[in-house]
Parts: sequence; structure tokens; C-alpha cells
Amino acid sequence: MKNHHEVISAFLDDEPFEPARLAEALSEPEGHAALIDLVALRHLMQPPPNVVAIPPRRRSPLRTVLAAAAVLVAMAGGFWLGERRGQLIDSAAPAATRVIETGDWQPLP
Amino acid sequence: MTVDPEGLFVANQPRLFRYFLRAVGQIETARDLTQDVFVRATRAAIPDVPEGEVRAWIFRIARNLALDHHRRTQRQPVDAIRADTGRAPSQEIDAAVNEALASLTDLDRDVFLMREMAGLGYDEIAKACELTPDAVRSRLHRTRLQLRDRLAAPIAARHTSPMRLSGRDPRDDT
Repeated sequence: MKNHHEVISAFLDDEPFEPARLAEALSEPEGHAALIDLVALRHLMQPPPNVVAIPPRRRSPLRTVLAAAAVLVAMAGGFWLGERRGQLIDSAAPAATRVIETGDWQPLP
Repeated sequence: MTVDPEGLFVANQPRLFRYFLRAVGQIETARDLTQDVFVRATRAAIPDVPEGEVRAWIFRIARNLALDHHRRTQRQPVDAIRADTGRAPSQEIDAAVNEALASLTDLDRDVFLMREMAGLGYDEIAKACELTPDAVRSRLHRTRLQLRDRLAAPIAARHTSPMRLSGRDPRDDT
């Protein structure tokens, strides 16, 4: 293929090209065969459509069960601790350690 | 103008992944290298330049990572891109494509993949590969002709299927 067929690549790539040079290139059997072949080459390069940059996240059922179990354990643990603290703290008022005698009230001047 | 790293990631991730996919031929490695580009890009100061130049800068990082990967693995052509959902019918063609790409020089392969897989313009490729746009044009065309020769049989077989200039398969529309 001749060098002036570079215009076919420029056309394929949406780069600026001279229409007259493209017409000249495509008027030759070699030129228009190249155009079809290079489009076909482009198709061959494409990866399978299901190949993606980030794989879709599959939520594992085990993960959901584990998360629910963790929440239940946390709630049960919290309840148990609360109960235990409730038993430890005596609800009756503590005995007085000091009694302050206020004496008689003084009238204000 | 301040470059937002997250925006940069969203805008360029698919392009980078597609470039790496053919550059290394393995899905997981391509995903890892795509992430590595952004790790490196955020560690370095993202240049405060127009979008096309930032993309060229990102692809320069990508190119270095691909070259490092090839040095580590000694550039063995891989079989085929394996889709996550089992064996694709076009695996033989894929293997032939990867083999043909492996026969190219690093620079020719990168210029070609940046255009064909990542959709970069000639100016962007020129900046990423430190070439002139004219050199990109010539190199790209020459590389296409080499690949055309090496892949003559699958190219001929593709003539009977509908095609699009973009390369997107019309059969995927349905």
C-alpha cells in the first residue's frame, strides 16, 4: 500500500483529511480494499461486550446473613450489659455521710 | 482551573481499561493497572492544563505501567481475553489478535492501542508518546497495515458480517 493511503487512516480516526486525497485513495482497488479491511480490523480489536472495567458487585447471601447476625449479637450484648448494670446499681439512696445543721433563719437587714 | 481527581477517574477509567485490556491481555491485570494509574496520578501533582493534555499525561503514566508490566512478564502473548462468563466463541480470534499485537514494537503497539482502544486523538497520542502528530499518523497507518497482514484470515472472515466505522458490533444493538 502506498503512503498516501494514510488519508484512509485519518478518515477512519475522524482526524482532518483532504477529501480529494481520500477520493484518490479510494479510487484505487487497493485503497477501497484497505478501507474495508481496516474497519474489519477495528471490529476484531473490540473486547467481548461483557468485559467491563469494574465487575458488578454480587451481594453474597452469606454476607447478608453475617451482617444480620452481627446486628443481633450487638443488640443482645447491649441488652445483657444494660441488665447487668441495672442489677449492680442499687436503686436505694445511699446513707448520709454528713448532716449539716442549718440553725435558725436569720432575717435579712 | 483545579483538576478533580475523581472526575478524572470517572472520565478516563473506561479508556484506560480498554487500552490495558489489549496491552496486557488479561482482565484482572488490566483492572489493577487502571487503578494503579490513578494511584500514581493522585500521588503526583495533576497538571493544571486543558483536558486533552491531562489525558495525554495520564496515558503517559499508563504507558510506563504497561512497559513495566511487560518487562516483568517478559512480554509473553496471552491466549485470549477471557470473559467473566465462560468461554467466548471468538477466543481463537482473540488469541490471534493478542499474538499480532505482541509482534509489534512497544511504541507501535501503544500508538495503535491508544487510538483504537482508548479513542485518543493524534495530538493526545503524540503528547503521550513524545512524537509529532504527523509521526503518529504515519506510525498508526503502518501498524494497521502490519496487523492487517498478520490477521488476514479473520479480517476476511469479518467481511461477511455487518460492520460500523466505530467498530461497535451492530449485533450488540439487539
